[in-house]
Amino acid sequence: MSTERTPLDDKALWRSLATERPVAPAAVSDMDFAAWLEGNLTEAEAARIDEAVTADPALRQAALDLADILSKPLPAAPARMSVRAQALVGFPAERQPRQGWLESLLPDFSQGLAFRRGALAACAVVVAAVGFMLGGGISEQYQEAIYASSQSSSGTAIRPLGRDTTGELADLFSDAT
Amino acid sequence: MTELSQIDLRSLAAGHKRTWDAFVAAASPLINAVARRTLSTYRLSEDDVMDAAQDVFVRLCANDFRLLKTYDPTRAGLSTWLAVVARSAAVDFARRRRQATAPIDEVPEAVLAVEDRHVEKLKIPDGLLTERQTLILRCLYDEERDVAEIAQLLRIDAQTVRSTHHKALLRLREHFRGEPP
Repeated sequence: MSTERTPLDDKALWRSLATERPVAPAAVSDMDFAAWLEGNLTEAEAARIDEAVTADPALRQAALDLADILSKPLPAAPARMSVRAQALVGFPAERQPRQGWLESLLPDFSQGLAFRRGALAACAVVVAAVGFMLGGGISEQYQEAIYASSQSSSGTAIRPLGRDTTGELADLFSDAT
Repeated sequence: MTELSQIDLRSLAAGHKRTWDAFVAAASPLINAVARRTLSTYRLSEDDVMDAAQDVFVRLCANDFRLLKTYDPTRAGLSTWLAVVARSAAVDFARRRRQATAPIDEVPEAVLAVEDRHVEKLKIPDGLLTERQTLILRCLYDEERDVAEIAQLLRIDAQTVRSTHHKALLRLREHFRGEPP
């Protein structure tokens, strides 16, 4: 019978060694971890993350999971997920207050919606101007009618506006014929 | 649909609604996959997955997009960074729920095993192995990962994993030859 020691296989050799680190490695930022996952770090930088990943089983599991997810085509997310997330940005309560009062009067031209709102506002101004002019014309006629009635009321009894009691129209038609 | 790589990050960080909507549409599949994978060990419901994903988006746009502004495109792709952020957020979410109730049958034996502290183990001298060699040996022997999985993780080819493993064991055997464990 041989007394020679049977050499350990690779796995047994590794497991017979104390591989736990006495000191916890430094924390790894998300940006560093992402750069490490993509292999974008220098050797020295990568060694620091290697150490952290070796020492922390949770970080190791995260690295394996993420490497797996990023290497495969992804299934579509539920529509509800996108709808909820999209609602997080864009509502009036969420928008940042502007710096100055003068600035707040100006539309934010960096957004397409602002252009549409500006165009609508310009249309509203044009409509209002036309309306004002038309209204002005009517009120001018009204003023003339009041003036005329006040002139004629000095000699005759008060006549209702809008009724031709002076025979002016009859004169007009008779002149035309 | 817009790809994540096509998102205008300046416009996104400025809070423009259209860019945010496009970003959400492009990022949702990834965030969904990461949240789902992370929460799978916690036995949480579908609603929890939705809430965890929403937490990720909230983190990204909170405080005037502060987290999003820390992303540096020169160091990593947006997808990879987003996956890391989503993983962190999902882990935090699961811890808040405190429902780590994995059935004992599904927990790997290695996790449940109680190490025999009486066995004297030899310490590996500092500097004998590189961090990369240690990581590869740990993945291979402590976690029983296969070579392809480790190669995928480290973005190197399988042959490099094998040669790194081989060199590491040569060093260990060389060092402990005089004092067999």
